Amino acid sequence: MIPQQPVYLEDKVDEIRQSGRLDYRSQALPTWCPGCGYYSVTEGLANALNDLQIEKENTVVVSGIGCASRFPFFMDTYGFHTLHGRALPVATGIKVANEKLTVVAIGGDGDGFAIGGGHIPHAARRNVDITYILFDNGIYGLTKGQVSPTSAIGFKTSTSPFENRDAPLNPLLMLLSYGASWVGQTYAGWPHHLAGLVQQALEHPGFSYLHVLSPCVTFDKTDRTYQNLDLTVRELDSDHDSSDLALAMQAASDTRSPALGLYYTSQRETLGQALDQVALRAGAGG
Amino acid sequence: MPSSTHHVVLGNGIAGNHAASVIREREPDSRITIVSAGALLFYNRYDLPNVFRGRQHWVDYLVHPPEYYESRNITLRRKTQVTELDTRTQTLSLAHRETLHYDKLLIATGGHAYIPERLLDYTKLMLGFHNFIVAMQAQKSVRKGGTVIMLGGDVMGIDLARTVIATGHRVILVLDSRTFWPHEVTPSERVKYLQALTNMGVEVQDSGRVERIEMISGTGSARRVFLENGEHIRGDVVMPFYGLVPTVDFLATSGIDMERGILVNPQLQTVRDNIWAAGDVCQIWSAKHNAYRFFYGYRNVKAMGEVAAHNMTGKKATFTSTVSEELVINRDGTLYSPYWEYD
Amino acid sequence: MAYDTDIQISICGSAGDGTIAVGDIFKRAMAHIGYRVIAFDQYPAEIRGFGKCIARTRVATSRVYSMKGYSDVLVSLNDLHAIPHVGEVRNYGALIYDSAPMSAVAEGAHISGHLKPGHIPYALPMREVSELATGANRSRNFVALGFVAGLYQLPQDAFHHAIAAKFESKAAAVTKSALAAFDSGFEAGAASYQFDDVRIDAPRGRKSTHEARMMTGNGAIVQGCLDAGIETFFGYPITPATGIMEHLAVEMPRHGGRLVQTEDEIAAISAAIGAGYAGSRAATATSGPGLSLMTEMMGLGVMAEVPVVIFVSQRGGPSTGLPTKTEQSDLNLAVWGGHGDARRIVLAPTNVEGCRRCAGRAFEIAEQFQVPVIVLVDLYLSNRYETVFLQDENEFLPKNWKPATTPGAGYRRYELTTDGVSPRCIPGEAGGIHTATGLEHDEYGNPSDNSGTHSLMTQKRHEKLQAAIKHPGINFTKRFGDSGKVEVGLLTWGSSFGEALEAMLLAQQEGIRCAAMKVVMLSPFPVRSVLRFYKDCQQILVPELNYTGQFAKLLTSEIALPVTRISHATGAPLDVANLVEAIRRAARKHRRRHNAA
Repeated sequence: MIPQQPVYLEDKVDEIRQSGRLDYRSQALPTWCPGCGYYSVTEGLANALNDLQIEKENTVVVSGIGCASRFPFFMDTYGFHTLHGRALPVATGIKVANEKLTVVAIGGDGDGFAIGGGHIPHAARRNVDITYILFDNGIYGLTKGQVSPTSAIGFKTSTSPFENRDAPLNPLLMLLSYGASWVGQTYAGWPHHLAGLVQQALEHPGFSYLHVLSPCVTFDKTDRTYQNLDLTVRELDSDHDSSDLALAMQAASDTRSPALGLYYTSQRETLGQALDQVALRAGAGG
Repeated sequence: MPSSTHHVVLGNGIAGNHAASVIREREPDSRITIVSAGALLFYNRYDLPNVFRGRQHWVDYLVHPPEYYESRNITLRRKTQVTELDTRTQTLSLAHRETLHYDKLLIATGGHAYIPERLLDYTKLMLGFHNFIVAMQAQKSVRKGGTVIMLGGDVMGIDLARTVIATGHRVILVLDSRTFWPHEVTPSERVKYLQALTNMGVEVQDSGRVERIEMISGTGSARRVFLENGEHIRGDVVMPFYGLVPTVDFLATSGIDMERGILVNPQLQTVRDNIWAAGDVCQIWSAKHNAYRFFYGYRNVKAMGEVAAHNMTGKKATFTSTVSEELVINRDGTLYSPYWEYD
Repeated sequence: MAYDTDIQISICGSAGDGTIAVGDIFKRAMAHIGYRVIAFDQYPAEIRGFGKCIARTRVATSRVYSMKGYSDVLVSLNDLHAIPHVGEVRNYGALIYDSAPMSAVAEGAHISGHLKPGHIPYALPMREVSELATGANRSRNFVALGFVAGLYQLPQDAFHHAIAAKFESKAAAVTKSALAAFDSGFEAGAASYQFDDVRIDAPRGRKSTHEARMMTGNGAIVQGCLDAGIETFFGYPITPATGIMEHLAVEMPRHGGRLVQTEDEIAAISAAIGAGYAGSRAATATSGPGLSLMTEMMGLGVMAEVPVVIFVSQRGGPSTGLPTKTEQSDLNLAVWGGHGDARRIVLAPTNVEGCRRCAGRAFEIAEQFQVPVIVLVDLYLSNRYETVFLQDENEFLPKNWKPATTPGAGYRRYELTTDGVSPRCIPGEAGGIHTATGLEHDEYGNPSDNSGTHSLMTQKRHEKLQAAIKHPGINFTKRFGDSGKVEVGLLTWGSSFGEALEAMLLAQQEGIRCAAMKVVMLSPFPVRSVLRFYKDCQQILVPELNYTGQFAKLLTSEIALPVTRISHATGAPLDVANLVEAIRRAARKHRRRHNAA
């Protein structure tokens, strides 16, 4: 991935300005630490929205609480920074109220899988047409470094001073079994890969779940670092069949060398379509 | 043990109610249940002719208000028919498929109107006067100035006739051997008494017994009564007054000794030592007559209730009649029966 | 006030007896005839088995405000369930029961042995009559209903009509056998001599020009939602609010609305707030336990200034408490629940018609003031039926939100305006882009922990609600009874107001100068009109259905004056007779003091 030709800053800035993707970014400076993987997600989402020509006033970014959840403030779209763990139900409500909107839910591993864990299966099984981008850094960053539901066993944090002993969740396997109709994984250290998958997730009609492996450069110096992730991540096998759920689950079970790419996708009735069918059955207008 | 004794009184009339109140005075803690076939509280049947005078609310006839029973802790089971008495298990079977256990039982079910067998087919065409509902029906059936045909003419009927006539109606009385029941009258007395009836305004019809009764169509309750001699008379209502028969049907299999009524000794005890009888339902041994006899009249019936209550609560008492059995002709030539007296 | 006809009939049976069904037919028929009807059914708490059901219906020729504390007629379809209720029948009232039970019963298990001496028994062989009329014993309930109608000489056709309507969707044979059983019962009733003194006279006067409908509080809430054009609803089942969601689930899709049953109450309120944020008329409904879960998200609604309507039907608490009994013990939670200074609007209707009005206006108010609005009822109001007369025209305002005064660059979602209400844009509107947040924020919506900003914004969020007290189309307080100075004033809220009003009317008949005020808006509190009332009353009684006197405490904290609490926490509505006694006592106290002076 190392460019062959030198890149000049002015050229790059010009290119970025002309692309139009800056229109999706707000003036607010992100509150994340320098080097945080979340920058690339911001960039990736702005890029994808721009490429897909989705009007920013028709975009709503919904988040819970956590480092990742600060995300809406850095986008120049409609945003709703809600409560810890509640991004998905709020996003569901927004989408049910107005199907024209592109709704993106954003959160971290604590927000999504600890406090908000009860909502994920239901968003997935209802197939609500939103995109859920989960930044997984395996730690609570906003509260300055506590153990999270995806922290590795043996991980030492301020609340696991004698090392974490709780087995980490396997989010991909969970989402696949919950019936999510689009499940992918990417890595903040691979920004181009990330941007591509964000775009695919946005394009998917139905609930799309994008898992982003992302280091916390401040509170995790030992475990999920760029160095470690660079060494362990890999692309999904080139012959991976993303319509095969069993295969996707098998791939998701390999946590030693996380595979990046689209694990699984299928087409089925979205919540919006289901509600339209209910209206038809009820004899709407009658 | 007395505190848990369950006294069951069958019958919601004078004997039963008086007995219940005496039992309660003597045993403050025992259980007392009055079982009644009717829907109402104990009311004064002697007053019923007053429905012809416009007293038509049943509450006005009550002897005791509802609070009387509540304050005395006497349970009243109304609309309750007893179908069987099992003296061995001391259990009463009730028509609604419940059973009721008693420790001591007083049968005070009284009597009901006697209808001669030849008239049974016409029962539906006649109206009695034995309870509030039929009294009201009878009153409603008689037009202003209309006619009541009385059959038989026992003392209850003659009593009613006084009021019916006084309120401006005609009474035609079809005579029978049971006229003046329960008074026993000799043929010569009978002539006198019939004259007294005439003096009272009763139209006495002595052309033989009733043969049949017909409905007069299109008139509601009006009836035509055909007599043995072929004559017929017309009235707004036909009321049988052939005297009473004791209400004892449910005792058929009980093993209690009966003749027409329940046979009791002067202490009103039946052949079972925890079962007594009082009122119009019982025949009491009379040494004087050397026979079991009925004793009628309010005072006798009330006295029987008291005697039974005393014997049921361990105090020996004996019944003696205090009511004269003789009919009387008043100075003005009208008839008077001691059985019409009540408090 | 003297009523020509004012009787209460209770039908008691077990779950399989069709008790509630005939109670329903009775109240609908009576409403159709033109009576004012109020009814409250009690269901068993258990799902399976043969729990006790009681259908109580009060029928009157003038408007009535609560259930009576006693019944005039009790029909027993199941003696074991009905025996404990025999005592609620007054002297010379009627008891109608089956004199031909299916099987033999033990001593004491038949109701006839439990009647009070003052009761009038009607022994009806319901089973036999049912078998003769329909060939089966299942229609005992219709035999009993027919008996009541025949005994009191009610118009048979009104009942035929109500029975046919009830079984419209069923096979014709069902209607036929119900009608046959009813008619046989009717005949028996008409032939019975009426010894009780229950009189049901024909309704007087003109019929209302509007159609009389029987509605529960929950039904009226649904009607209010539909009339106000509800667009989205998110809910989680909980007694006694479930009926709202069930009814909306049928009606909303027909009217362009969308309803989703969520995974829990947190999701329900979250989605409703999401939908409200996105500009739809959104609502949820729950009971106390659910409201406990919702309080954090309600705080977000207050902070982010999102309109949403939350219907809360209280039941006995705390914890799971008494799911099928009524109580008014969630006032504190509704008014104050949650962290931070998070004032919201709380409306508490006092009758079924008020449920509809409050429901409809709640959407208007939520939009106008950009805030969550709670409509607080209780099981007794949720489930009780009243005759209501619906207007033909829709009285509620269409959806509206304050447009951006400065759309585009420099748009300030949380602009500090004179009335505290800021220009609101919703997703889809160009130029209105902003991020709503639960963090304290500046006028643009950017997070800010500046102390000046926090105090200005807190003030804004509270002050803007004051104008809600003047919202048109709804009485936030209303005074009844004697005007001017009175000896005793009753001040109460919610479903309890009906009993308070009945008690006041009875006390007035006894010559006590008496008035009652209902307080419909609990937050913000209508201090001025309540104070005015307070000053007219020598004694103020505050009856309510909770132990701690939650409304009384709210009241005293708002007006800083003492009141006399009458707390009643039995799971049942207030007892009118007890309330009248309390009024007498208060009046005596006042008179003694007055005479001494």
